[in-house]
Amino acid sequence: MQLKSQPAVLRRRLIAASCALLTTSATRSQEAPEGGFVGRLLKEWQLESALAYYHENGRVQAIEPVVSASHDYDDGGNVSFNFTFDSLSGSSPNGALPSRAAQTFASPSAQSFATARRLYNVAPGNLPADPHYSDARAAFGGSWTLPLERLTRVTLGGKLSIEDDFYSGTFNAAIAHDFNDKNTTLSFGISDEADVIKPIGNTPVPLSNYAAFDKEGNKSKNGVAALLGLTQVMNRYWLAQLNVTADRFSGYLNDPYKIVSVLDAGGNTTGYIYENRPEVRTRRSVYLENRVGGARASAGLSLRYMTDTWGIRSQTAQVNLRWWAAGRQQYIEPTVRWYHQTAADFFQPWLPNTTAPATQFISADSRLANFHALTYGVKYGFDLSDKLHRGGIRAHRTRRVLSADTQHQHCDAGLAAGTRSVSEPEGRPGAVRLQLLGA
Amino acid sequence: MADGEKPVRAVSTVAALCCLIMAVPAPAGPIDLAALRGRVVYRDFWASWCTPCRQSFPWMESIRKSYQDQGLAVIAVDVDQDRADADRFLAQFHPGFEVLFDPQGSNAEKFKVSGMPTSLIIDRHGVVRYTHVGFWPADAQVAAQQIRELLAEH
Amino acid sequence: MRVRTSLIALAVGSVLLAGCSSVGVKPWQRDILSRSDMRPDGAGLDDAIDEHLYFSKEASSGGRSFGGGGCGCN
Repeated sequence: MQLKSQPAVLRRRLIAASCALLTTSATRSQEAPEGGFVGRLLKEWQLESALAYYHENGRVQAIEPVVSASHDYDDGGNVSFNFTFDSLSGSSPNGALPSRAAQTFASPSAQSFATARRLYNVAPGNLPADPHYSDARAAFGGSWTLPLERLTRVTLGGKLSIEDDFYSGTFNAAIAHDFNDKNTTLSFGISDEADVIKPIGNTPVPLSNYAAFDKEGNKSKNGVAALLGLTQVMNRYWLAQLNVTADRFSGYLNDPYKIVSVLDAGGNTTGYIYENRPEVRTRRSVYLENRVGGARASAGLSLRYMTDTWGIRSQTAQVNLRWWAAGRQQYIEPTVRWYHQTAADFFQPWLPNTTAPATQFISADSRLANFHALTYGVKYGFDLSDKLHRGGIRAHRTRRVLSADTQHQHCDAGLAAGTRSVSEPEGRPGAVRLQLLGA
Repeated sequence: MADGEKPVRAVSTVAALCCLIMAVPAPAGPIDLAALRGRVVYRDFWASWCTPCRQSFPWMESIRKSYQDQGLAVIAVDVDQDRADADRFLAQFHPGFEVLFDPQGSNAEKFKVSGMPTSLIIDRHGVVRYTHVGFWPADAQVAAQQIRELLAEH
Repeated sequence: MRVRTSLIALAVGSVLLAGCSSVGVKPWQRDILSRSDMRPDGAGLDDAIDEHLYFSKEASSGGRSFGGGGCGCN
């Protein structure tokens, strides 16, 4: 399998930088609060903020400020709020493959090619992507923990997220109980999510012809999740945690903007159809985390295994190592994360035009492909001498690589279509995040 | 603690003596065991990493000031493994009460400390009468009342 | 088959919980455990930002941190 000019496996780098503001953290030991209302507020609430800048080389970029405030009550309770604003813009792949001929697509709001306010052309060999993709999201969350008695706590929380084409509300509740002199903690939580999807230009009929612009009304989906967790102090230096989670989503689970290329025997793109995913998805995962620490250093290792009813199985492993400088005022923390997932049963980068996909499930979204990703990064944190403020800076880089199988499938189409490069569906390149944090 | 008070009292007194001997003396000077007998003792186990302890210190200082003349002795036993951490904590609070150091935790073990912080209110005869696990302002009011009650006894 | 898996899981869980009673530290030995880098939810915002970014690119999400550990105070 030879490609003309690029290596068989293409790795692209994504740069992301993010800045954060300093944290103000108030300790409860402060005696007489000074400075009036604002001063008292700052002393009683722990404020944390971060500004994340994420950049994908040649694709989207995102700016995301996050703010959180937390207050501890005298009885051991706590209330906290957080607010996130996301602004995403750039070019987003639509799921179609590169072709030897030029391709034209309409922006999602179009009702037909003739009346479309905006079309975008894709040169032969280039990956089809909407260059005007932009999305803004505002999310607000709150949680309240109240102690039932010394060893038991109940937490209630909610989240609200608003985008111009997607609205989501979640409610969660959890209970935690300590045993064995607080060496063991058992937690159980449930959550319920309700989402409304109002795609720009209306929801396309699944599997319908792209050029027909068949649209229907708004959609919704719901999810329920449950988590059982066990946290155990192993010894003075080691804490372990084991969580088992399950969730089930039902309703409209498609990406309304994603299409699948239909190719003829010669590899020419003859058209596109909208993707179609099952209406139910159940996931189960097991998560194990270990934290080991000494006077000047600590390490964390976490593993997660997930399976779902779409045929996806994933494995995640992450290691963090933290080294404190003498005096424990600053630290450096390198981190590595490895992720692998298998493809969904119905993942297919393209469809031969001989197949009639009347009731077939199909998606070319690379988020459902077989790939592995490696993220590595480093964080630097410091305490200001007043012991009330902390800051940090963090940088990560991710490289994602599609499995050889998927690449071959792309190659088959690509070679037949005479393209110059292996297609790079969304998610294929890597991401680097540089983040200055309030820790 | 009504039944078998006499032997319990004796054991407690001996235990208290042993603990006092085993705890490393605070820089403030040798402990005067005779001076403690006949006084109500508020013995608190604390550590620099214990957040509620930061609230308990100002309160302990205030009860020391209020009741010292009536016969209250406040003793704070530190269980930090690293003395430097404790010193940094003490530098913030400058307590007027006695501070003892128990880095091996043997004192804490003897008094069966089951949470941090733990405070024991010991009457004038050396008997542990009340135990408080954790520190809450509301609970501190109860402890103050218990101290007053024991101070009133002879 | 599902029932049997659930029963096995319950049995394993019970053994784990029972075994846990013999493992741990005294309440005054939690100095290192009380540090934020030793808490499962210690990294707060960092983890939330990471989760969001991975969620947008991958098919898996969540599963992590739930509390416990720490200084065990109050």
